[in-house]
Amino acid sequence: MTKRRLFLELENCIGCRSCLAACTQCGGHEQRNRNYVYDVNPLVNRQTMPLMCLHCVDPACARSCPAQAIQIHETGAVLSALTEKCIGCQNCTIACPYGIPKFDEEQNLMYKCDLCIDRTKDDIPPMCASVCPSNTLQWLTEEEIEEKQQRHDLGNDKWVTSMPYLEGETNVKINLPGILEGTTKLF
Amino acid sequence: MQKDKFFRDIDNVTHPNERLVKTHCSYCGMQCGMNLRVNTKTNKIIGVEPRYDWPVTVGKMCPKGVTAYQQTNHKDRILKPLIRDDASLKGTQKGFREASWDEAYDLIAKKFSELQTNYGKDSLSVFSGVSMTNEKCYLTGKFARVALGTRYIDYNGRFCMASAAGGFLRTFGVDRGSTLPWTDIHETDCLFIAGSNTAECHPTSMFRVWAVQERGGYLIVADPRETPIARRADVHLDLRPGTDLALANGILHLLIKNGYTDEAFIKQHTNGFEETKEVVKDLTPEHTSFITGVSVEKIERAAEIYGKAPNAIVMFARGVEQQHKGVDNVSAYCNMALVTGKIGRPKAGVATFTGQGNGQGGREHGQKSDLLPGYRKITDPKAVEYVSKVWGISPEEMPKPGVSAYEMFELMNDKTIRGLYLLCSNPAVSAPNLNVVRKALKGLDFMVCADFFLSESAEFADVVLPSVTWSEDEGTVTNLEGRIIKINKAQEPLGESKPDWQIQVELAERLGKGKHFSHLHTASDVADEFRLASKGGNADYYGATWDKIDKQDGVFWPCKDEEDEGTPHMFHDKKFYHPDEKAKICALPYRPPAEEPDEEYPMRLTTGRVVYHYLSGNQTRRIPFLKDMCPEPYVEVHPHTAAQYNIQHDEVVRLYTRRGESNYKVKITEAIREDTVFVPYHFGHEESINLLTIAALDPMSRMPEYKVCAAQVEKLN
Ligand code: SF4
Ligand code: SF4
Ligand code: SF4
Repeated sequence: MTKRRLFLELENCIGCRSCLAACTQCGGHEQRNRNYVYDVNPLVNRQTMPLMCLHCVDPACARSCPAQAIQIHETGAVLSALTEKCIGCQNCTIACPYGIPKFDEEQNLMYKCDLCIDRTKDDIPPMCASVCPSNTLQWLTEEEIEEKQQRHDLGNDKWVTSMPYLEGETNVKINLPGILEGTTKLF
Repeated sequence: MQKDKFFRDIDNVTHPNERLVKTHCSYCGMQCGMNLRVNTKTNKIIGVEPRYDWPVTVGKMCPKGVTAYQQTNHKDRILKPLIRDDASLKGTQKGFREASWDEAYDLIAKKFSELQTNYGKDSLSVFSGVSMTNEKCYLTGKFARVALGTRYIDYNGRFCMASAAGGFLRTFGVDRGSTLPWTDIHETDCLFIAGSNTAECHPTSMFRVWAVQERGGYLIVADPRETPIARRADVHLDLRPGTDLALANGILHLLIKNGYTDEAFIKQHTNGFEETKEVVKDLTPEHTSFITGVSVEKIERAAEIYGKAPNAIVMFARGVEQQHKGVDNVSAYCNMALVTGKIGRPKAGVATFTGQGNGQGGREHGQKSDLLPGYRKITDPKAVEYVSKVWGISPEEMPKPGVSAYEMFELMNDKTIRGLYLLCSNPAVSAPNLNVVRKALKGLDFMVCADFFLSESAEFADVVLPSVTWSEDEGTVTNLEGRIIKINKAQEPLGESKPDWQIQVELAERLGKGKHFSHLHTASDVADEFRLASKGGNADYYGATWDKIDKQDGVFWPCKDEEDEGTPHMFHDKKFYHPDEKAKICALPYRPPAEEPDEEYPMRLTTGRVVYHYLSGNQTRRIPFLKDMCPEPYVEVHPHTAAQYNIQHDEVVRLYTRRGESNYKVKITEAIREDTVFVPYHFGHEESINLLTIAALDPMSRMPEYKVCAAQVEKLN
């Protein structure tokens, strides 16, 4: 089976928050969405960006967990805390460079994106990337990601916006805004 | 054939004790494919799963689509007919009691008959909508003319697609919203998009739009606001609201002057070029810039890109259409494609973004005051003869044309119309100049409203009939491409609710017209009669059987018979639908909006949608996720303008026009013109921006000028 990854083309985002609405439709997600979309500069323009768990290869959230509640799936997905182990300390939220893990005050439990593991374990795209109307969120093969990332590297030693990793290597790959700078016009 | 580069073979996930019903979204004209998740034990809809194999949208949905399933078993559903005995409570939610269908039907039949006996056949009216299947739209037209025998039927498409229809008919002789399938969009070289906030109103078009730019193609957007699509445009033509005709003429001027015209195409396939050339002669870039407020450089650049592009698609939406010159705007933008010959082949053409789910099909089959099924004119004796035969009436019994949607409210106010059957629409929010409209509804002798939620309009009714949501019935819808698709039933009707077609059949029986309706037992029966009624018309659906729709992933009309696979690309043979088979390049002198700013009302007010809501919001305002994301309206103001008025972000201000006023929270953004304010229109009661909008109607389409009027802002303390 081809192994695909989640890929974010941040410049594409239109701020519709369909990714958040769809998050709740994954079997294990109990009607709570697990990521963020933020307005970059709301008083100025309408630019928006999704802020998703990047499923770090060496995840700070899991490392910081005193109860070892955050497991890493064989696909690399960093799972939501096991409810029987999580002690609700919120170390993970603080440790994550992006503040991704959310907290359920009532149940005193953390919950986070598990990359729709019951879909992605079979290479079916996660709900967010399935619905994203702008192709900000895509489910791509390594080759497709490589090709996308090359477009963000103009080869002039200046324009590089595809990040091999941010705060460490991640399973989710990202292109930061700037896709248009790397495009050769047709005419 | 339609499996393009975005198409992937992906298995769906089916959870234990669930089955999937493939269908489409209930909302906009994109009609995104979706699977409804149905619990096999309770047989209730419980969620949604992407429909990856739908070629137009490949699993994608906006947040409205993702949450659409939450309508079906919503706690606000009306489960039984409601009757209100105390008419003094009209305009409120109070005084309704539950009743049986029998009691409701008896009361309606009695009141309708009384009114018609006392005041004539035409004292009754039907106001309908196009967020429902072709079968329902078709039967509503027949119900009005055969069961009620009234001339007064019209529908909410007058507030939506009427100008596009008028423009296409005049220019091409036929009104199919897109000359090409959506799967062409990402392959074109230039998109010229005017008056469409595509990212919010038709979000699932966006992956194709961005793909044009990713390939090195160009995106030109004309909009007074820097919408999410305009933000990334190669050229953003930030025009003053209501000046599209000048912009389109100005670009035409440059296309002609700079030699981008296709002389052979113009000569062989069009009329009207010389007159048009004369009209646009004065629209130099400088003069165009003076009228529109767009810089000369941008106008010149846009014309150059469109002119040079090997293939290009001109697209537009309500921004250009909801004006009192909406039809002219549409024809003027179509002129660009005609003078350059960029039409009638793959990847080049013209399209409008259809607003409502069935905005295309619903306008073709007889809900419009002057149309009969198949896009036939009710003033054409041959059409009347054919349709009368299908309906089993004599041609003399066919009512004459009525009046347009807004004009019906004026006739209510002068007591020409005394009774109303309203379905699939919420004009107490969506019509312009609401003070007049709400007064009209309140003054009616008798009003019936069919809906599945108690809308703001239902608050004026004497009887409310519970209809079903889209997921509890089946039928066809025609999406924004002109592709006829199938909506499938996923759940039995909730409570005692019924599909509108069934309500009409049963009501017709009570009114003594059963012989024209009683043979219609299922939606499929209605479909068969409807296809026959459309046969031979411009919008010919005769060959679009449900089987074929299923097999082919939809059928593009016209589709004349069993063998015909339909028509994805229009005008492929360069034959247009006018008698001489030529398209018309239209000479259209500029005229300003009906109401220009002055000292008293110095701002231009424009209105539109947000991504989280659909039309009057009667559905989406009840969905928790959508309501959380956008709970209330607001007014967008440029920071310079805000400074002039000394108002802050989040401050509540009074906004008013000559017609009405309301208070809104200020949202400061540089992404709007300094002379313009914007308010979304999805909200009811005192929050409705349509209390302020103007009912200046287009002379041809009778479309109100929602998109521009003069307004003033006042700081409150
Ligand atoms: S669904 Fe896609 S476009 Fe919409 S907010 Fe999420 S990432 Fe952005
Ligand atoms: S992004 Fe944050 S939550 Fe996600 S794996 Fe990395 S550290 Fe953990
Ligand atoms: S509202 Fe329109 S774009 Fe959104 S999911 Fe429904 S059909 Fe698609």
